[in-house]
Amino acid sequence: MSDLAIKTVNLTKRYSGLWSKQPVDAVKNLNLEVHRGEIFGFLGPNGAGKTTTIKVLLGIIYPTEGEAYVLGKPAGDPKNHYKISYLPENPYFYDFMTGREILTFYAKLFGIPEPDRSKRVNELLDRVGLSRAADQPLRTYSKGMQQRIGLAQCLLNDPDLLILDEPTAGLDPIAHIDIRDMILDLRDQGKTLFISSHQLSDVERVCDRVAILNRGVMVQLGRIEELLAGGHVEVIADKVPDNVVEPIRQLGGKVSLHDGRLIVEQPDNGSVDRVIDIVRAAGGHIISVKPYRRSLEDLFVETIQGGRNV
Amino acid sequence: MNATFAIAGATFGEAVRKRILMVILLVALLIILISPAFEPFAAGRGARTLIISFGFGVIQLAGTFIAIIMCTGMIPTEIERRTIYTILSKPVQRYQFVLGKFFGAVGTLGFMYLMMGIVFLIASRMALGEFDPKIVRGLIMFFFQSSLLAAVVLFFSTFVSPLVNYFLSGGVFLLGNLLSSFLETIQRNPEVTPITRIPVQILTVILPNFANFNVQNPIINPEQVLTDELAYLVQTVAYAIVYIALLLVASMLIFNQREM
Ligand SMILES: Nc1ncnc2c1ncn2[C@@H]1O[C@H](COP(=O)(O)OP(=O)(O)O)[C@@H](O)[C@H]1O
Ligand SMILES: [Mg+2]
Repeated sequence: MSDLAIKTVNLTKRYSGLWSKQPVDAVKNLNLEVHRGEIFGFLGPNGAGKTTTIKVLLGIIYPTEGEAYVLGKPAGDPKNHYKISYLPENPYFYDFMTGREILTFYAKLFGIPEPDRSKRVNELLDRVGLSRAADQPLRTYSKGMQQRIGLAQCLLNDPDLLILDEPTAGLDPIAHIDIRDMILDLRDQGKTLFISSHQLSDVERVCDRVAILNRGVMVQLGRIEELLAGGHVEVIADKVPDNVVEPIRQLGGKVSLHDGRLIVEQPDNGSVDRVIDIVRAAGGHIISVKPYRRSLEDLFVETIQGGRNV
Repeated sequence: MNATFAIAGATFGEAVRKRILMVILLVALLIILISPAFEPFAAGRGARTLIISFGFGVIQLAGTFIAIIMCTGMIPTEIERRTIYTILSKPVQRYQFVLGKFFGAVGTLGFMYLMMGIVFLIASRMALGEFDPKIVRGLIMFFFQSSLLAAVVLFFSTFVSPLVNYFLSGGVFLLGNLLSSFLETIQRNPEVTPITRIPVQILTVILPNFANFNVQNPIINPEQVLTDELAYLVQTVAYAIVYIALLLVASMLIFNQREM
């Protein structure tokens, strides 16, 4: 178990609705294993149960059924939190404090003594680019600056595991890139990252593995390249006679031909050359050959919509 | 312990920046400062009684409002704004959070009482021409009264909303001030049956006795004669500390189960 940063066993979290009569299973029978040193994307639409799972992992709420372990110990043990960091969704900090004060406050919670504390706080303010704003109250900070304070407080304790809940939500594209670079940097240092997201951006593309959660149930899990395997190549040609349609169709692609204009969607499995040969042998004129990779977005949408029809 | 004090410090920092609390403090300070102007309305020893009573009245009222307003939202606001998530994700035990909040509240009350006490001492010294040690003892008593009230409010805040808490803790404060003398009255009356008396007795024992702390006020307690004032003070403070400790333990137990 020690090579697992996060493990859940049949984890279920039910909110017994006080007002609405129907209890909600925010997370259902979740079995999750996140290895040390990996970047794990925890994806799913709003309300899928991502934040609920994360709160259980941190001991902010308790499981209804099942178990959760973090860094080999039962979730929620504060002693374990020396090696864990958490960036909440839309984080909010004491806004009467300055950037420096809030980081000092969290450093005290970690029990980091002076003079290390000031040194560490200054380093991190510098690292997230807030040195100049360090002595302004947080209430004057933009959303992006607040998020950077959030990231800085995640790094105070040099954690083994970082749990980031929607780290890019509501940020501009530059901030996305900043965060992605930071994540890659952290991976190079051997950290484990558990990143939740409902919208896909460059950040999720750096994940080693992703799980897709829908309505509390895990509906996909795997390495990104495996999940995205199976793209196709689109071949467009002109001046193609009708008699090529049948032989091309036998190669397994989708074929359409109108007024001599041929469009073939061919599975990306090496048969594209054959399609081109047939077209040219028949006197056709190739206009374009374009590979289409399946994107994470496609997978996400397909998975979620598939789940909806069940 | 580090974490507890860090949380207490943050709580203090936030409280002294709360405009409503500062307004209450400033108004109280202003009234205490001008209270000697009432001297002409009472002659001789009456003037002393009036000025001291009035000052204590203002301080007690301010302390009560500050304790209730400050503490009702203390934990619910942290949950609502989700500032508590980052705190509990650090190596912080939940009991440390509750303790830190309480110490922060008491620190704020201490600061407020210090300010009001200094102004009260100066104003009464100017009006009466001498320094009355009763004032210092009274300040200590009312400070502990407010601290006990803060613990009551904090306890309720671990399981009720701020609005409900205002009524609950306000009610407990009123009952705690009145019940002991009410009980005395009905005990002297032979017509009161045990069916009425016993519930009152039980309530008086269970609810915190806030009346104990009022003895220094010569108008509320005119006939109270204390043979050993110091012993009474120590006893009452000890009562406050024990009651606060019990409330804090109960708060921690409830807060431990709480989901956020
Ligand atoms: N405190 C709560 N009480 C009741 N229901 C909740 C509570 N928190 C979340 N939920 C419900 O649980 C489900 C999952 O929510 P959440 O974990 O926040 O999803 P996500 O983070 O993936 O957007 C949603 O249906 C949400 O309405
Ligand atoms: Mg969420």
